Amino acid sequence: MRTRWLAVVRTPLGAAALLLMVSMVTLAVLAPVIWGDRAVQVDTDAIHHGPSAAHLLGTDGLGRDILARVLVATRTSLGLATLAVAIAVGLGTLIGTAPSVLPRRLGRLITGAVNIAVAFPALLLALFFAVVFGVGTQGAVLGIGLAGAPSFARLTQTLSASVDGLDFVAAARVAGVSRFRILRRHLLPNIAEPLVVNATVGAGAALLAFAGLSFLGIGVQAPSYDWGRLLGEGVNRIYSNPAGALGPAVAVMFAGLAFNLLGETTAAVVGGRARTRPASAPGFAAAAVEEATGGGHTDGSAALENDVILHTDDLHVSFPAAKEWVTPVRGVSLTIRAGEAVGIVGESGSGKSLTALAASRLIEEPGVINAARLDFCGIPLLTTPERETRRLLGRSLAMVFQDPMKSFNPTMRVGRQLAETAVEHQDLDRRSALARAIDRLHAVRVPAPARRARQYPHEFSGGMLQRAMIGMGLMNTPRLIVADEPTTALDVTVQRQVLRLLADVRAETDAAILLISHDIAVISQMCDRVLVMYAGRIVEDLPVAELRTARHPYTRALLDVVPGLDADRTSPLGVIPGRPPEPSQFPTGCAFADRCRFATAACREEDPLLRPSDSQVDGDHRVACWHPVDGDRLLAQQSFVPIEAMKAGEIGG
Amino acid sequence: MASLVVDPSTPSAAGRVLDSPWLSFTLRRGARFLVSMWVLVTAAFLMMHLVPGDPVRAALGIDAPADLVASRREALGLNDPLLTQYVDYLRNLLSGDLGISMGSGEPVGTMVVERLGSTVQLALLAFVVAGAIAVPLGVAMAVATRAGRRRGVELVFATSSMLAAAIPEFLLAVGLVYVFAVNLAWFPVAGAATLSSFVLPVLALAVGPTAILARIARVEMLAVLQDDYIRTARAKRLPARRIYLRHALPNALTATLTLGGLMLTTMVAGTVLVENIFAWPGLGSRIVQSITAKDYPVVQAIILIYGGLVLLVNLLVDITLALLDPRSTIREA
Amino acid sequence: MGELRFDHVSVRYGGRRTGHTAVNDVDLVVPSGAVVGLVGESGSGKSTLARAAVGLTPVSAGAITLDGHDIVRPRRGDRPVQMVFQNPYSSLDPRMSIGESIAEALPRSERRNRSARAAEVVRLLELVNLDGDRAAALPGTLSGGQRQRVALARALAARPDVLIADEITSALDVSVQGAVVNLIRELQEQMELTMLFISHNLAVVRYVSDYVAVMNHGDLLEFGAADEVLSEPGHPYTRELLDSVLELGGCI
Repeated sequence: MRTRWLAVVRTPLGAAALLLMVSMVTLAVLAPVIWGDRAVQVDTDAIHHGPSAAHLLGTDGLGRDILARVLVATRTSLGLATLAVAIAVGLGTLIGTAPSVLPRRLGRLITGAVNIAVAFPALLLALFFAVVFGVGTQGAVLGIGLAGAPSFARLTQTLSASVDGLDFVAAARVAGVSRFRILRRHLLPNIAEPLVVNATVGAGAALLAFAGLSFLGIGVQAPSYDWGRLLGEGVNRIYSNPAGALGPAVAVMFAGLAFNLLGETTAAVVGGRARTRPASAPGFAAAAVEEATGGGHTDGSAALENDVILHTDDLHVSFPAAKEWVTPVRGVSLTIRAGEAVGIVGESGSGKSLTALAASRLIEEPGVINAARLDFCGIPLLTTPERETRRLLGRSLAMVFQDPMKSFNPTMRVGRQLAETAVEHQDLDRRSALARAIDRLHAVRVPAPARRARQYPHEFSGGMLQRAMIGMGLMNTPRLIVADEPTTALDVTVQRQVLRLLADVRAETDAAILLISHDIAVISQMCDRVLVMYAGRIVEDLPVAELRTARHPYTRALLDVVPGLDADRTSPLGVIPGRPPEPSQFPTGCAFADRCRFATAACREEDPLLRPSDSQVDGDHRVACWHPVDGDRLLAQQSFVPIEAMKAGEIGG
Repeated sequence: MASLVVDPSTPSAAGRVLDSPWLSFTLRRGARFLVSMWVLVTAAFLMMHLVPGDPVRAALGIDAPADLVASRREALGLNDPLLTQYVDYLRNLLSGDLGISMGSGEPVGTMVVERLGSTVQLALLAFVVAGAIAVPLGVAMAVATRAGRRRGVELVFATSSMLAAAIPEFLLAVGLVYVFAVNLAWFPVAGAATLSSFVLPVLALAVGPTAILARIARVEMLAVLQDDYIRTARAKRLPARRIYLRHALPNALTATLTLGGLMLTTMVAGTVLVENIFAWPGLGSRIVQSITAKDYPVVQAIILIYGGLVLLVNLLVDITLALLDPRSTIREA
Repeated sequence: MGELRFDHVSVRYGGRRTGHTAVNDVDLVVPSGAVVGLVGESGSGKSTLARAAVGLTPVSAGAITLDGHDIVRPRRGDRPVQMVFQNPYSSLDPRMSIGESIAEALPRSERRNRSARAAEVVRLLELVNLDGDRAAALPGTLSGGQRQRVALARALAARPDVLIADEITSALDVSVQGAVVNLIRELQEQMELTMLFISHNLAVVRYVSDYVAVMNHGDLLEFGAADEVLSEPGHPYTRELLDSVLELGGCI
């Protein structure tokens, strides 16, 4: 925590906040000591004088020095504001957390009362309470304090509710922990930080409210004085001595600003915003980028070399993080031909989704793509300007994302969202585009497509919406459909329907498919070829038919650890010791070495390249391993560790 | 096997209307509005009775003759039991009678009618100005500075909006009075005589909220730009303008609108301060006078009006939100 | 140990006309010391049923009993049914050390003596194959699989008779799931716990369970010995679920 504070204080924001707060607090403590007498010294000869050497801001109606009064008033103004916000926060937190310990009916009554009170602006509430408690300092403090309580109560309620919904609170309840202990040990510590930020900002608001009330004459009363009162007196004489109003005005502004800055600083510390940026993006030792293949053929009608739809060579994707760059995808090379279905399988940190996004040119700043080649339908995507590739990609590349509910615009009708692609890329008018949208919805087996097209996404079920997303991709004629975990968010019975639909689409339109999944069974059923990714690299590239004789230890392990419906119940499930590495911590050498039974020192020094497996006749099977598994040598049991051999903390991630 | 969409058995026409999410929404919001109004009215009523001591004596002064105090008390009905007073109060309210000013003896209602328009005009105009500037500014800023672009512009915007948001309206008003009254005589600094006399008060009221609203609009827009459906729109290779205006903006408006409503209520409250400085002939300048003079019926009435305006604004915001967001009515039901 | 019985249990949300029935009149028996796998898709009510058993969701009708005693309203200090949740990233308080999280679940009588408490925490950590001297670690330093094991230790700290595992491996990487499943199976056998194992993954359920119950849209559709239900399903929905399981090398 301390390091975060130090880091933030070094920024201009933090430094300014600290400076202002320290000077204000110093003034509050010292000013009455130094200038206290001067501030109350009446001088009947110097009534309402303008600025002079003796009185920098002039004098007031009793000849008192205004500057001295402004400085001395710091203590009153700050003190009252702090007191008021303390009342607001204390009372608000109490009221806000009460519903969680009180019986439900009472809790709901309190919540309802807070909801009504919070609708009114604090100033109105303050006026109301000021009337009730009487004009004067006490009334104003109580008034502002009580006026601020509802919004803190509401804030506490919201924060508590969000923490309350978390599983660890439920677990504590299930374990029999008392409501008070849950409040004290779980709720309050987890809401303390945002509360502190708001309390700081609230102190600033209380200060301003006080100044306002005193200014109007219903706050601090003579002979006491605060900035607001001084401002009020100064404004009455603003034509003759503007400095008299300027002084208190500047003081109020400084104080308000100081609290605001402090609030922002606290928020920065609490939120842990990373303010450092690394230097420019890493270059790669990739071959020189190939030049654009002749102009004009950007609509995909050029004769393709060997029917290759997508080709990447040494693809890297990097993101800036704290002090350096992280490269979750490092050197991916793949080729997809027309009508082919290729799958990429991998776990967390493998980079499979980013590869798909990069190939589709959907990585935005600050991410950076580097590749020796990235060609779609023969057009190099990295070197051709975006406006030329836009139409090609819009018409020939379709994407299906993981969560259909989040991937559709919730405030636009589904039919329109489908139609706009056709309007944009086929120059259709609205009506024809909508008709085509309904036709596509029908093609993906959405019942009552005309009615559905007029509905909003939340009115669809998950599976139906995913089919609508596929339909959206079919509005034009895609040569490649990229599906990133298309069924992970769906129920298993619906998954089969969606996958069947994809297979049918491929059969009917000869579109190629790039399917990303963590589930190797899905890939094996849908695809001709599978690429296994681990820690940002492809470790094996093989036809699906040859999966059972995969040669990379990771691929074999993946196949073994997933139980089928016929798994042997007497033996423990397979486990790969350790866990996949984070992109920021990819080791040198083979990234799988730490978890591999066959790893040697050589494996940890140098990363194996993806090479054709020499035992294959047609060279269609490539492995990146120093000790690829030989079909005979390996039996299933050897690639996982039985439970008896497990040691504490080592196994199982 | 395709999954069937199960339709509920078709109810009668009346049943269908009753099940309509719109009706239940209207009923719920209407009920909430009425309950809040009732709480406000009761609070305003109680205010006078929560004040320690005798309100009439406090208004007339310590030296006022006892029989005058007594007759005034009788006239105001203060000697009746509390419940009777409450019922009378409610009955009077419903027939538009807001009581008699203890200071001037005039019916409060006339005063309110005279002054309400000026206050509402001021607040509304300030709100329109704030919204018209803040929302486009915030959205444009979000688009221009997303994902760390143009950090210089972001810094300028963040600093200037923070400074503007930190200035309370009454300070700004004082500053404007000073500049334009003492130095440049471009705009009038008192009264509501001409069109140009709106300029300074509206400015004073609107600057702070504009800055806050612009910051919020930017934050909301940035958050929306990170949502998955924006990625889908980019995957469809739609032109940038369409993505920002037709996909991002409508979704960013929801939270911005909620805050806009909050700003409007803040501006309504801010008129209390601003009117005093510019001698604006509205309710705000009158309430302070009345509080100081302890003219409770007037204070009561003005607090009632202000509170009612706030509740009305909240209701309008909720209705607009429900109209804009197709999920909202369903979500609540 | 102990028989968990759901007797005509229903759970409803919302009002009479606009409400939603999450669990509809379910009768289910989890025999003492046995593992019942509960399968179903989203909206089936399986998680709601589990939450009702631990008192997190109120029951609208019916009774849930353990060896005949009503556990919907448990006596003070008596918490014989414990649960391990799905999301490893929200099931531990990020501000409490894992030792404190586990100790909090210990019965009151065992929480008094500090050294006994600490010793018990270490024992529980080692029971789930974690290092005993990591008790002071914060959850943020642990991986998903390790957090699930801490959550398991916490559930065991409460000395339960019944353990409910609600999709405990769904949020974990495939290569890591096996460890958690092996662990919970071993501990269940060792401690003779009655277990309700909830998952949408039929293969894992079959592997772990003695019996299988199938739910859909709040109804309990089928119940029987795991092998029987999953090789010769009676209900067409169960058959549909089985058909949807994708096996390696099959055909879409």
